[in-house]
Amino acid sequence: MSKLPAADQTLLEGVPQPGPVPPLRIGRVSQTTLSNGVAVMVVPRPSVPRLEFRLSLPAGAALGPSAAASELLAMGIPLGTDSMDQAELSERIQDLGGSLQVHQDEDRLFLHAAALSAAEEDLYRLLAEVVQEPAFPAPDLTTEKAKLLDGLRMARATAQFPAAETLQGLIYGSHPYGRRAPSDSAVRGTSRQALLDLHRLTFTPRGAQITVVGAVEPRRTMALLRRAFSAWSGPRRVPAVPAVRPLRAEEVNFIPRPDSVQTVVMMGVSGPSQGHPDHLPLAIATAVLGGGFTSRMMNNLREDKGYTYSPHARLENHLRDGFAVASMEVRNEVTGAAFAELLHELARLCTTDVTAAEMETTKSYMAGSRVIMLQTQAGLASALAQVRARGLDHRYLEQYSSQLQRTTASEVREAAARYLAPTAMTTVMVGDEAASLEISALAPMRIRRATRRRH
Amino acid sequence: MAPKAGGASSVSFSPPELVSYFLDNGLEVVLSSERSSPTVGVGVFYRAGFRLEPEGRTGFAHLFEHLMFQGTRHVPKPHFGNLINSAGGMLNGFTRHDYTAYFEVLPASALEMACFLEGDRMSSLDLNEETLRNQVDVVEEEVRGNVLNQPYGGFSWLWLSQYAYATYPNCHNFYGEFADLEAATVEDARDFYRTWYGPGNATLVLTGDFDVDEARKLVDLHLGQVAAREQPPTPVLDEPFPTARREFHHQDPLAPTAQMAVGYPTAPFGHEDHLALSLAARILTDGRSSRLQRALVQGRELLLHVGGGPHYPIGDSFEFLGPALFTFEATPRPGVTTATALDALDQELARFAEEGPTHEEVERAKRRELSAYHANNDSRLGRLRELGVMAAIHRRPQLVDELPGSYELVGAEDIARAARSWLKQSRSTVLHWEPGDQPPARA
Repeated sequence: MSKLPAADQTLLEGVPQPGPVPPLRIGRVSQTTLSNGVAVMVVPRPSVPRLEFRLSLPAGAALGPSAAASELLAMGIPLGTDSMDQAELSERIQDLGGSLQVHQDEDRLFLHAAALSAAEEDLYRLLAEVVQEPAFPAPDLTTEKAKLLDGLRMARATAQFPAAETLQGLIYGSHPYGRRAPSDSAVRGTSRQALLDLHRLTFTPRGAQITVVGAVEPRRTMALLRRAFSAWSGPRRVPAVPAVRPLRAEEVNFIPRPDSVQTVVMMGVSGPSQGHPDHLPLAIATAVLGGGFTSRMMNNLREDKGYTYSPHARLENHLRDGFAVASMEVRNEVTGAAFAELLHELARLCTTDVTAAEMETTKSYMAGSRVIMLQTQAGLASALAQVRARGLDHRYLEQYSSQLQRTTASEVREAAARYLAPTAMTTVMVGDEAASLEISALAPMRIRRATRRRH
Repeated sequence: MAPKAGGASSVSFSPPELVSYFLDNGLEVVLSSERSSPTVGVGVFYRAGFRLEPEGRTGFAHLFEHLMFQGTRHVPKPHFGNLINSAGGMLNGFTRHDYTAYFEVLPASALEMACFLEGDRMSSLDLNEETLRNQVDVVEEEVRGNVLNQPYGGFSWLWLSQYAYATYPNCHNFYGEFADLEAATVEDARDFYRTWYGPGNATLVLTGDFDVDEARKLVDLHLGQVAAREQPPTPVLDEPFPTARREFHHQDPLAPTAQMAVGYPTAPFGHEDHLALSLAARILTDGRSSRLQRALVQGRELLLHVGGGPHYPIGDSFEFLGPALFTFEATPRPGVTTATALDALDQELARFAEEGPTHEEVERAKRRELSAYHANNDSRLGRLRELGVMAAIHRRPQLVDELPGSYELVGAEDIARAARSWLKQSRSTVLHWEPGDQPPARA
């Protein structure tokens, strides 16, 4: 247990006191829906002469017939269209002082683009073509497959990737959130036609959301977006991710990694999604446990014991749930001791109210980091795109701080007891088998030998 | 094709206000006010990086960075972080070759507290055995996690310089040998602090929502009280350029496939080729339209990835004093050797040096620089980092706002000349990073 004192500012004479965290002001939000169903949100923020564009689509990694097709769909978008190859597309974006990237989470695919604001009209016209007419040219697709296979080989050589993949598999079972990364043969066997089919199914205006933030004039921006995207058509049916029915593994699943000099310890659980009454209390609980520099994991496991460099806990948001995960990398000889401390911290969170000082610090940290991250055009655009993708809107961000303030220590304890009790979580470790001896003394354990996957 | 966004210079937008001056104790102060959101960035850049840590104390500059968060006589551990987080702020630090930076981004109402805390840890850091031993453990876990337990751990930033240079300041292990970390004493830390962490060796940068006159008063009050210290010596870093290409093979037991890095000594700040090499990096490696991606990833299908530039991958053209490398990193496709990849890279660089870039390539690179400049200005931390480096390393914070204009003066012929002069095979160091169990053996 940590012997460090809790934050007590009364000890500290002479330190100037800061004021309260300022409210988050998003400003004027304009919204419309195009005739084909594209939902548009525009927020002027003229801090610098640029603009940030986000398009989100129901084409996440959990959707589609296979993990390979979903990943290759995202990798195939920057390969160009029928009228321009990938190098020409890249040139045209760069000529606008811009950039184009594709990101994917379990539920959605996000196109992140930016440009100097003088190039606004050209950017939309270009993106409309990219979205509607991707070519997935066969030779370039072969290269993207090789990149994906190389990335997967690299990921499998780490300790973190197999830990996360196994943990999600144990918790989500056959639900798409538990889907394993694609096998080599699935990647090789994915055809261009399969991507064209998946594109037709998921790149549908009815499921599309556009967010623009920057030095723009909303009425003009709306008109330009309408001109660029109104002709886009697609199926009426929007693909949906099914509800989650989470599972739990009782035993610690230990994956041997010979000669590993650290053990990766990961504990996870499926919790509430954003908007659920338990969500903010659980978000506070995970932040108290392992968010930022002043969390309990940081104070106890790093600053007191020196067991680990970057212990942390977070609540990842999915559309259908929230995935709470606590994780650390510890040297072999302290694996058992560190795990015991983590179990102790979890139990403490479930049984004892968080102190008033910790509640205060954590709420301020959560509210303040939100204000800081959302001060840039890029930060605000991404945050708006993400909350919209989960069925919420800008008011969720604006009300976040006051909702935090209203949350009480007993609500935090109750949420912790519901989701973060050691008996509610699933544990995976990856490390040298010798370190597993330390664990078997603490908890029932199962050695999970890597099954050779067919490639 | 014709640029549609207008020439880079046609986009006019006045830069945020910028003021810089020195306090009597020698501290350089840079204030850049921009009031569009109620937040501030506070940074202190100390001219103390990896390269000046003493022999037998590899890794000490970074270890010392950790100690700067361990409390002072007035604000004991763990209050520093608690105070910042309680104010709604975030904090961190990072160590580089020639400087170490500490920063906070916070609500504007916490500006005075942050100034107090930075002045406090500049003058009354509490260095003691307990926190030193604790942070040696923490740093060793950091090295295990980022290097020893990770495929390609430290590739290429941590390793290429160990092969490319011959003198201790440039070629030692910047993360630190465990024996050296464990041998560090509190007395070492006090010496290091006294020598390198005085106000005369530091730059304070404030960005964001404040009134400049009020900020000056806060800075005077909380950082003006720090006692001046003797100016530290200027480190001697220069060493002669290599005269023939050297190739090294480094084995990594965790790496599934081979990768490659090549480093060329790059032009120092102020040299007539310096800015041209920044643009060369964009033209050669930035995006799918870049020369090397087109030729080697798409055209000849030899590589999966290629990236590069001055001081790549942990810095840019401005983040160093003394020697630095223009580095390329490449991942060959399966079945292609690093030797074949190297040949192909050599051919493309030779062609580039001979023919030079096209007018369109140069204009595109400049527009990318302009856009990046604006994006940095949009972030408290982004602008703080740019100003801190230009002030602490080059004593010219104004350069940040002058750069887009300076790039306008660079032409295609300048870039070709710079490539001919600096991207020379005869000066390069090649690192073949391969799967295998053999321990590294430096030349």
